Amino acid sequence: MAGIGFRLRELMKTDTLSGLLQAYGFAGIIGSGPWVLSIIGVLLIGIINTEDFFTPSFVGQFQISVTYLMAASLIITGPLQLMLTRFIADKLYEKHDEQVLPNLTGAIFIIIIVSGTLAGLCLVYLFTGSVLYRLLMLSSLVILSTIWIVVIVLSGLKAYREILLAFLLGYGITVLVAMELGAFGLEGLLSGFVLGHSILLFILLVVVFNSYSSNKLIAFDFLRRSQIFPSLAITGLLYNLAIWADKFIFWFNPKTSNVIISPLRGSELYDLPIFLAYLSIIPGMAVFLLRIETDFVEQYKKFYDAINEGAPLKIILQIHEEMIITIRRGFIEILKIQGMTTVILLAIGDKLLAWVGISPFYKVLLNIDLVAVGIQVLLLAVLNLLFYFDYRKDALYLCLLFAVSNIAFTLLSQYLGPVFYGYGFAMSVLLTTLVGIVMVSIRLNRLVYETFMLR
Amino acid sequence: MIRHTREGRNLEVLINLFNGRLYRNPGRFVINTKAADLFRGSLMEQQKKYADITLLLEGTYPFVRGGVSGWVHQIIEGLPQYTFALIFLGSKKKDYDAQKYVLPDNVVHLECHYLWDHFSLSKPKACKGNNEYILASGKLHDWFRNPCSGFKEAVLKELLVSLGQPSGFTAEEFFYSEAAWQQICECYDKYNAHNSFIDYIWAIKAMHTPLFKLASVAHQFAPATGTFHAVSTGFAGFLGLLLHYITGRPLILTEHGIYTKERKIDLQSIFIREHRDLLGDVLHMGMQYQELLWIRFFESLGQLIYKASNPIISLYETNRERQITDGADRVRTQVIPNGMPIDRFLDLRAQRPEKIPLVIGLIGRIVPIKDIKTFIRSMHTIVTHLPEAEGWLIGPEDEDKAYVQECKTLVQELGLEEKVRFLGFQKISDMLPRLGLLVLTSISEAFPLVILEAYASGLPVVATDVGACREIIEGSSDEDRALGCAGIVIPMADPEATANAVITLLTDEDRWYSAQKAGIQRVERYYTQSRMLDSYKTIYDRALTQ
Repeated sequence: MAGIGFRLRELMKTDTLSGLLQAYGFAGIIGSGPWVLSIIGVLLIGIINTEDFFTPSFVGQFQISVTYLMAASLIITGPLQLMLTRFIADKLYEKHDEQVLPNLTGAIFIIIIVSGTLAGLCLVYLFTGSVLYRLLMLSSLVILSTIWIVVIVLSGLKAYREILLAFLLGYGITVLVAMELGAFGLEGLLSGFVLGHSILLFILLVVVFNSYSSNKLIAFDFLRRSQIFPSLAITGLLYNLAIWADKFIFWFNPKTSNVIISPLRGSELYDLPIFLAYLSIIPGMAVFLLRIETDFVEQYKKFYDAINEGAPLKIILQIHEEMIITIRRGFIEILKIQGMTTVILLAIGDKLLAWVGISPFYKVLLNIDLVAVGIQVLLLAVLNLLFYFDYRKDALYLCLLFAVSNIAFTLLSQYLGPVFYGYGFAMSVLLTTLVGIVMVSIRLNRLVYETFMLR
Repeated sequence: MIRHTREGRNLEVLINLFNGRLYRNPGRFVINTKAADLFRGSLMEQQKKYADITLLLEGTYPFVRGGVSGWVHQIIEGLPQYTFALIFLGSKKKDYDAQKYVLPDNVVHLECHYLWDHFSLSKPKACKGNNEYILASGKLHDWFRNPCSGFKEAVLKELLVSLGQPSGFTAEEFFYSEAAWQQICECYDKYNAHNSFIDYIWAIKAMHTPLFKLASVAHQFAPATGTFHAVSTGFAGFLGLLLHYITGRPLILTEHGIYTKERKIDLQSIFIREHRDLLGDVLHMGMQYQELLWIRFFESLGQLIYKASNPIISLYETNRERQITDGADRVRTQVIPNGMPIDRFLDLRAQRPEKIPLVIGLIGRIVPIKDIKTFIRSMHTIVTHLPEAEGWLIGPEDEDKAYVQECKTLVQELGLEEKVRFLGFQKISDMLPRLGLLVLTSISEAFPLVILEAYASGLPVVATDVGACREIIEGSSDEDRALGCAGIVIPMADPEATANAVITLLTDEDRWYSAQKAGIQRVERYYTQSRMLDSYKTIYDRALTQ
């Protein structure tokens, strides 16, 4: 989230309700990422095409196609996401804004080639279905992957109104077109998806290209040896793998899945609750971003400025203490807001499910998923702190733990039976977050020593 | 995202300190640069080497020309009965070209270490750190702060011998350990709590880095040695100190200048320069504390080295007194002045014209420290009394071009174009017989060899009261003083007094001749090379039989 704090602080400064709401809205969208929005979009499409509790099979096919697209694009871009975020944050810090755009172009170039090739190979050799379907899948993957890359620089931009507008327009079109083209089945829905996301990407690119100046068309500085942090690439990959590990396990266990559209398998039981649950993180993510990127970053800057500008040790220790208090306050606030959201959803979950026309059968799994994703917001906050203090190794180990424990616990939960479905992911998130919190608190307590003696 | 600019700056300060020393005094020695590589190759083949004397050389021989280097060469060449090993300490490898001297055959070993080149440490990793060592070294630092109290030599020895060793305190422990961090924070709170912490901690780290490097040099030093001889305090002296405690062999110290005092002057000029850039910067109080830290660092090194060295040799009385005030034990101090090979100058004496030439010469680089302007101003007075007199400025003009220009402008302003000549670098033996007086107006000197050269060629001297000048001109011991004055000592920056002294000597033939006689007698009795070599031979023999 390179440079988001600056924007958010500006919004917060207006001190009006609308400014505050805008700040939360912006933080919510940027924070929870477009993929929460696309979940809403996909669910909406499902609901729209559902008549009298009967959902045509192509809607299921569409949903699983989009899910796979999300998973694949996030995992493919995972290694680049953190690396590019760090690179751009460094460049903005060094006031080399002109280097942002050519490197973004370079990253997009790489991602288009990689995702295009991978998708092409898979579609030619693995997929069945019409040629149109395969082409739409190919373009969707490329477009989605590109969007994930562009989103990295969005947060530093001034044009947050345009960005909000781009998302609304993009997803509005996705839903509208799906409504209109629903008659054409799977291909119709996918066309809407591609069209909506293309427009979203296009507007975002226009905004980004208008906001940064550059004298070069394309650059690959972010891959240069001196700039590169290989651990960030691995961390990015591991994190995205971890998030999807339990889903893949459920998809490829014949007992819990079935073929939706060959070769894509889905787990009707498992998928819907977890995606529904992800919608609940929007408030938590908004708070997380606001607290971390405004209050914390302010303290963080103060801390390092004090060090670099030659403050006495006493002042440095004082600021360090204040910073820790701010972090603690931020965590508590995330816990409060996300906890409240989760509790409310736990309470009224079945009513909501009934209201949107989803079988109450999902309620049990939804409950545990709500808790799991709620905790995941804390995990994100922990990871973010580790990145801020440049404890890249810790972040890497944490993500490794997340991936391994998610695989292990999910397999265990499958072994234990349907009552335990969802607990694998939840336990993995809980464990990783607890370990992460301990890690961060140890690091924070030793921060001054480590800064002066080990850095 | 802490940016370590402080590290860079401290390093720069150190390098400046170091180089300031190295590039002063470009010498007048004939150089021959071959043989070095051949020599090194043959050294490799020998296994366990023995050297009677290991010389510890900081930024001098054999890579840098200059007074000290010439002296080292003289000692090695003049005492062929001993074998020598050399440890050269430099700043960074790239600062030095090829060797400037051909090493005499009795040099059996040469190794070079560069204090500010990258110091290889293992990757930063948290560790506990040896608390006992830190406690003991804390007491040592208290002693540095207050040298009046005593400090047990056994403890000191223990500390120094285990410095950089796993059994004592490794560099990693110093840089990474929590115990070291605690100690640094405590000292900061106690002595410097209001100033920039990052400047403080980097100064502390920069200061101690070379000590660990020297510790590893000392522990890796292979040749067996009869005695160590440090040619300055500072880092070379510290290395000598470590070697002395590790091997138990005696340490001899010769100081040409006073290292600590020179470092103070360097530090002041560096910090004055920095402060000018930082004008109005609230942090400059911190810099002042750092300046004090550095000065105490070098003073403390000096104290430690004086404690371990015997004898402690200086070139002249004033410096001996200074060493004693700085903590040297009077009993151990000794003066051995530089010596001249007199024979070369006998010819020059014969070449002197019958009549005293009315030529006043200043031999030295045209730089502010030589205060050339006072010389030029005095010429103004001199030519009004002695219209035929001429002033010759003999010495290279390429070091401080701006100053040279200022001097030339001054000559024009005073209308002395016909009278004051800038001759540039000249062979001294060509010049000396043509001069009627040698004048030195320097504001700082140590032991100017040029005065001895003037004496040996039969030339009286007028010089300012700096360094060893008064001792050389008027004599140091009673017996020496009885030889009479070999010239006139004048106050610093005083053109009138300079002119008066010159006029007195040039117009009073009797006085001139008696000064010449005193000069020749003095240099032949006290300042011959053989006398100097004999003194060192005695010292070496005593040390080797210990």
